Amino acid sequence: MSERALTASEDEPLVKAAQRGDMEAYEQLVAKHRDKIYARAYSMMRNEDDAIDLSQEAWVKGWQRLVQFQGESSFATWMTRIVINLCLDQLRKQKRHRTESIEMMDEESGGVERQMPVVTVNPTERLERAELRQRIDKALGQLSETHRTALVLCEFEGLEYKEIAQAMHCSIGTVMSRLFYARRKLAALLADLKKTE
Amino acid sequence: MNQDFQLKLQAYLDGELTERDTREVEAVLAGDPEARALLTELRNTTDALADFETDLKLPETRDFFWSKIQRQIQRQDTLAERPTPVPFWRRLLIPTGAFAVLVLVGWIGFKSFGPASDTEAAVVETFLTDAGAMTYRDEVEGMTVVWLSYPAENEFAEFE
Repeated sequence: MSERALTASEDEPLVKAAQRGDMEAYEQLVAKHRDKIYARAYSMMRNEDDAIDLSQEAWVKGWQRLVQFQGESSFATWMTRIVINLCLDQLRKQKRHRTESIEMMDEESGGVERQMPVVTVNPTERLERAELRQRIDKALGQLSETHRTALVLCEFEGLEYKEIAQAMHCSIGTVMSRLFYARRKLAALLADLKKTE
Repeated sequence: MNQDFQLKLQAYLDGELTERDTREVEAVLAGDPEARALLTELRNTTDALADFETDLKLPETRDFFWSKIQRQIQRQDTLAERPTPVPFWRRLLIPTGAFAVLVLVGWIGFKSFGPASDTEAAVVETFLTDAGAMTYRDEVEGMTVVWLSYPAENEFAEFE
């Protein structure tokens, strides 16, 4: 049995108890998955306070909607989708209060990523785990929200292009362009960070 | 290598291509070192991200984080149980509606059981020959006039 399947089967009695209103069971589920939910919120928001608030809100929503959970996916996946939706809503709200930068409009129109030279050496090779994490964290922070979101939904959540397009309210073509740009820019940033260090 | 092929290469990495497109990309990859280099770069980025989230930990203790969630759940449960205050205009709606219904019923009753119509029954004249009186009723004006002949017509007859 895979690790994921094992976790899902371990969660089942806790989920059933929580669905009957057992808050202690729900607390155990929170304790077990809180880091994962927080990590996803942090990857999308790039802000510790926002990530804490949104993951907390996700757990409250999870409790309120628990009766709707039928077990089609694992409980952790179900909770992750809740926090992703909350993050997307929050990002949309923030976006409404901001104007898009010229750089971002250029990126959206495509073409910038084609000018970038291919990074031939793996910039993350032989790095310590902590150092690698720090470097990726910094590079992710330099991506625009739309590019980072596409990357997070694809790389971390493992969503298909059409699912990402649905979540981000755009076309599959746009998802592909954003993803391509995000990956190429990330590679360039990681290479630059290696050079400057 | 054009943009369409670059995106196709990425879709190949993500397992989003049809069998036919996969074969096409693999054929290009076999003879194009530039395409292979780009695929390696994309793959390295994907691999670098693989364990990124694993090390991210929520910077709050288990008890503190749970206490905030629990408080919010309880607050929202209380809000859900509390009856929603009815706005002023909705409180007026029921008596006003009832009054309107009463007026309507009264009006329908008047129309059904009252005079057939204002024009038809505008003037009703009644001759009371025995009393030597004539009554005139104007429904539109809501006025009744009684004519009394003096001496009464039947009295004349008696005298005659």
